[in-house]
Amino acid sequence: MALLRRPLLVLLLVVTHQFLQLWIVFGSVNEEGQKQEEFFEELLLKPLPDRKLLTHFHFQSSAPPSSNGRHHHLFPKAISQLVQKFRVKEMELSFTQGRWNYESWGGFDSIPSSNAKPPGVELWAVFDVPQHLIDALWKNLTHTLSGLFCASINFLESSTAYSAPEWSFPPASGNLRYGTLPREAVCTENLTPWLKLLPCRDKAGISMLLDRPSIYRGFYHSQRLHLTSTGSGSEGLDPGIILEQTLTVVLLPNSQRASLARASEKHIQPSWSLRSIFGKEVSGKCVLAENSNVYLLLDRGLVAELKQLHKEDEESAEKVLASENYWTNPIFELSAKPDRIFIEESSLLSKNSSILYKFEVEKYSESEPFDLGLTWKIPVVWLCQQAPLHASRFLMGSGNERGAIAISLKSTQSCEGFTGANFDDERCELRVDVFQVVPWYVKVYFHSLQVFVDQQPKAVSDIIEKIHVSPSKDKVSPGVMELVLKLPCSVSSAALTIEFDKGFLHIDEYPPDANQGFDIPSAIVSFPNFHASMVFLENDSLNKSPLLSKFQEKSPVMSYTEVLLVPLTTPDFSMPYNVITITCTVFALYFGSLLNALRRRVAEEERFLKDKAAKKSGRLPLLLSKLSAKLRGRHSEPPHSTPGSSSLVNSKLVFKVILVAGLAVCWQYYFS
Amino acid sequence: MAEISEAHDSDSSKLHESGSEAPPRPDSEPDFDPKLMRKTKPGLKRLFLTFSVLFSFLLGFPFLWKSVEIYRSPLPFREIDSLSTQLRSDNLHFPLHFHALFVGFGPDPDPDQLRRSILSEITKLTSQNPKCSNNYTLSVTVDLGSRCLRSPTSSPHSSSYQCGSISATDFVQNDDVAVDERLASVFGGKTKEYSVAVVKGGSERAVVGKHRHAWMVVGDGSEVEVAVVKVAELLVKVFINGGRDEGSIRNEFMPVGADGKIVLSFNLLNADPLDWVYDWDFEKIDDTLLAPMIEALAPVANISVESQVLYHTPKASFSYWNQKLESYVFSTKDLPFFVNSNEWHLDTSIAAGGRSKILQFAVYVPSAKECPLLLQLPNGEISKTNGFISPMWGGVIVWNPRGCLKDSEFEPGAKNIIPIQDLENMFEVFIGQFRQLFGFKSVNVYAGASGDWDLLPSERGFTKWELEVLSRQQTCFNLHSCATTLGSLSRLVQSLPRMIIMDEIGKQVKFSLEAAKLALSNASSGVYESSAASSSQARSLAEDAFFHPSIMSVSYYSFEHCFAVYSPFFLPVSMHVVLAALREFRRYKQEKAKYLVWKAKANTAS
Repeated sequence: MALLRRPLLVLLLVVTHQFLQLWIVFGSVNEEGQKQEEFFEELLLKPLPDRKLLTHFHFQSSAPPSSNGRHHHLFPKAISQLVQKFRVKEMELSFTQGRWNYESWGGFDSIPSSNAKPPGVELWAVFDVPQHLIDALWKNLTHTLSGLFCASINFLESSTAYSAPEWSFPPASGNLRYGTLPREAVCTENLTPWLKLLPCRDKAGISMLLDRPSIYRGFYHSQRLHLTSTGSGSEGLDPGIILEQTLTVVLLPNSQRASLARASEKHIQPSWSLRSIFGKEVSGKCVLAENSNVYLLLDRGLVAELKQLHKEDEESAEKVLASENYWTNPIFELSAKPDRIFIEESSLLSKNSSILYKFEVEKYSESEPFDLGLTWKIPVVWLCQQAPLHASRFLMGSGNERGAIAISLKSTQSCEGFTGANFDDERCELRVDVFQVVPWYVKVYFHSLQVFVDQQPKAVSDIIEKIHVSPSKDKVSPGVMELVLKLPCSVSSAALTIEFDKGFLHIDEYPPDANQGFDIPSAIVSFPNFHASMVFLENDSLNKSPLLSKFQEKSPVMSYTEVLLVPLTTPDFSMPYNVITITCTVFALYFGSLLNALRRRVAEEERFLKDKAAKKSGRLPLLLSKLSAKLRGRHSEPPHSTPGSSSLVNSKLVFKVILVAGLAVCWQYYFS
Repeated sequence: MAEISEAHDSDSSKLHESGSEAPPRPDSEPDFDPKLMRKTKPGLKRLFLTFSVLFSFLLGFPFLWKSVEIYRSPLPFREIDSLSTQLRSDNLHFPLHFHALFVGFGPDPDPDQLRRSILSEITKLTSQNPKCSNNYTLSVTVDLGSRCLRSPTSSPHSSSYQCGSISATDFVQNDDVAVDERLASVFGGKTKEYSVAVVKGGSERAVVGKHRHAWMVVGDGSEVEVAVVKVAELLVKVFINGGRDEGSIRNEFMPVGADGKIVLSFNLLNADPLDWVYDWDFEKIDDTLLAPMIEALAPVANISVESQVLYHTPKASFSYWNQKLESYVFSTKDLPFFVNSNEWHLDTSIAAGGRSKILQFAVYVPSAKECPLLLQLPNGEISKTNGFISPMWGGVIVWNPRGCLKDSEFEPGAKNIIPIQDLENMFEVFIGQFRQLFGFKSVNVYAGASGDWDLLPSERGFTKWELEVLSRQQTCFNLHSCATTLGSLSRLVQSLPRMIIMDEIGKQVKFSLEAAKLALSNASSGVYESSAASSSQARSLAEDAFFHPSIMSVSYYSFEHCFAVYSPFFLPVSMHVVLAALREFRRYKQEKAKYLVWKAKANTAS
């Protein structure tokens, strides 16, 4: 633990130093005069181990606190009005398609921990108002956002759809509301309003790359909007707002050399260029942006692997790293010369440090567009850095009556170094926060919570340090479970199970496709003792980059589990009408027969039957005999029927016909 | 009835069929035919039973009907109708008081004569406004210096004028503003009257002041009749109608939202920021130019202002190069295609409530390849303001950067500020456009049929008499739209008899009607401001009722549904009950007839 703490302190010092520098810079701007609205645009590219490429667009607009918040020069009007109207202190809205693959794309960097989001829509907001006003503001906010982003965020309005986590959600505070819509489909109609908030939209600068077909063809696509309002809302000044818009896309570059299909090149990572991925190039920066940079990040695992390869080439790795020509080397080649190379300050958990190449888009123009390409020369295999535990969640049990939710945490390989370092420390513990929301129709029995560590059942009180449960209320609020687990560092796997009964919904409450099943939103597993941060040396403060300062921020490592699909018993939706019809028919039969029985004349009927027996011929036998006679070709005897009877039959028939026709006429009349 | 001796089955066909051939039974009485007569009285038990069932069903029906009835708050349909008929039958009269003062004409003109001739001119000019009319009174004073001749002699409105307080020498000076102030001090009594002073002697001049008065200086030799015609035109066309043309913008359009709010959204559009980027100092303009106007318009509308700067906003249509003007010219017929709704993200305002009116004002900075851009009028001239309005939407101004050359000093990305002088000019044009959106003239001259009047502009954008025209017009517009909305609501409610109507709607309708009545009574007593306020309240309540979410929702429970639920029970049961009742009744009649036949026979026999 002591070993752990010392580097942390160093890191903290470095960070505060950086902040101090930043603060000084801000101060100097302030002295010059009024602070201006600013806009930054950045793009980060990062090759992923499974032949894919991570592209992360990062746009940041900021408005300083001012006395006159109604007038804006760069900052989107809609957002500042939203912040003012709903007194939003912090808000994050994300639209995601696909699932972040924590195993192969990493789970420890600041990119996955803040940009990997659950599928569908996730919205949380912190309000700057007293508790009793928050719910009303939240409802209005969801409606406004759904109008602003053309999405059905307004479904988060109902109190069954959102919850108020107490402490397990990272920006924890009592004024937080959190809601997700796992089934929301995300497409261009959500991207266009998001782009509208950028001063250059997709007309110029890095955002020109946002080619819709390429983006939506990707494996993972997450569009995020995060805003923080800073400072003094109460002093008559309008708050300053920092709006951060990110778009994270994971794409598979279609390698041009794939057609060659040589056995030796099968394992080579695909080469790519911006043009081959997006079909577009960057022709200059957005003129309104303070700076406009493209970064290429080689993460720690990759750099370690590269060093290894260099050693085989009997070259000093240190020398190569220091060299400015690192961008063209025997392993890979970049098509453009980077303007700067940043090397990460020796990190806490591994001796390797990642490398960041910076390309300034400013230098390029329409006649000479910027296109970054990466060509691999020899096969490289590496692993991304993983979160200490890999979380997954699944359903147990069968049938439509009950089931169980299990959250399993598996230790990842990359964390061995960490656990090994603390092996001698007996009290080494790993803190894991779990935040789980379940809809009310999944009735969770909290007493049935079971904990397994390394496949051994453990007493709940040994592992769970803190638990906060707010049980669901039927049709009012969802159930929320917040847990703090203390696991031993040497843990290789842990599991939590909790049983539930499936509830019944009212027939009106079923969604249109009820048979598809109901979603249980992702659980959030966070590791508050681990912070993802990358501190780069030579970070020139004059040319400040929000993306790099974002990397330096200590963001807690967190991961989202899968969305679960629970099949509930769905009724036959025409059932109520069937029930009505059959009950009514039975009643009508009963009633009719009762009435007939009441007015029955038994003696008279008996007499009538006797008469009939005497007559011996009914109408039907008569007809039959007539028919048979005709068939035999003989002229039968004329029947005994009298004209009087037939006329009476006719009048009865006519009466019935008139009755039905009258009913029909009444019916028609009523409707006209 | 079970003991009926000789009756057969109720089926009468069988009865008749068997009637002829049934073998005569051995009976004690030879002429007793059991098919045709009976000895006992027919029983009433079954008849009573079936009919009691039928009647209990019929009695139960209203209860059922009541139980499936949906809640409908009673709406005052009759009062709604009476409001709209009241408005249609021209009951909305705004009382106006005019005062004409003649100075320096000597004792010659008779004030009664003058009054009569002015009134006749006014009636000639007054067009029948179908919506709102005015109820005017006129008083005429002829100032002889020492004493006054008044007509009518005991008018309560002309009493504020002190004789001899105006003389021809007051009008000699050329400073209109000073004259206006002088008149304001003379006429500025407590009464709300519109005064016009006709002064003889001096150079000819006709000015409408900033307050509620105008003056006219006529030459020494001119006739009083000419002045009378001109005064009448002033009173009708300027003070009543606000100096607007009949045909320009239809009077009933008021760019005010249903909740009495207007949001002025100012947008600076940089067509291509790669050429140049312009910014503006909006805060300063907002404080100096817009704030006084907003304050002045406060009784008419609650106005808020917001602004934004947008980039990459090309216009939607092309302009062509004009060699003679050395500029790009955009002709009027293409104006509908100027506003590029795909790229101009002017946006509705989140800050504004749902039913506020948003007026967009856009400054368009053309890109280098279309600069300078000029707008051409249909007659071939170049527009002086270089802007245009679109009624109920807002206005656009094209602002060409100075020089229009892509100088080397214009480095891309460097922010230039629009010079404050240009910005002020621009906002003066915007205020003119805003006036035009309200239907006023943007020029300071009223050209009437009998001569021109100079309109003294107010630094607040709108003069006092214009504001009063506006509030009259707004009252009129609000009341009519309130009546139309309530009328549509009542038609809708009546056409959907199974629609749920919440209590809240009923309450809103009631309050709206009350407010409308208050507005009507205030209007007829001449309290413009409060009548405008209560009329806008009436309108917004009416809109609230019409757009109430419960009306929008599909909680409407159709008759088909009701029928589908109840028919499986009631259709078969009612068949049983009705048929049983019919049969029993018929049978009873038959049996009774038989009994009567027997009785008659028995009587004759005995």
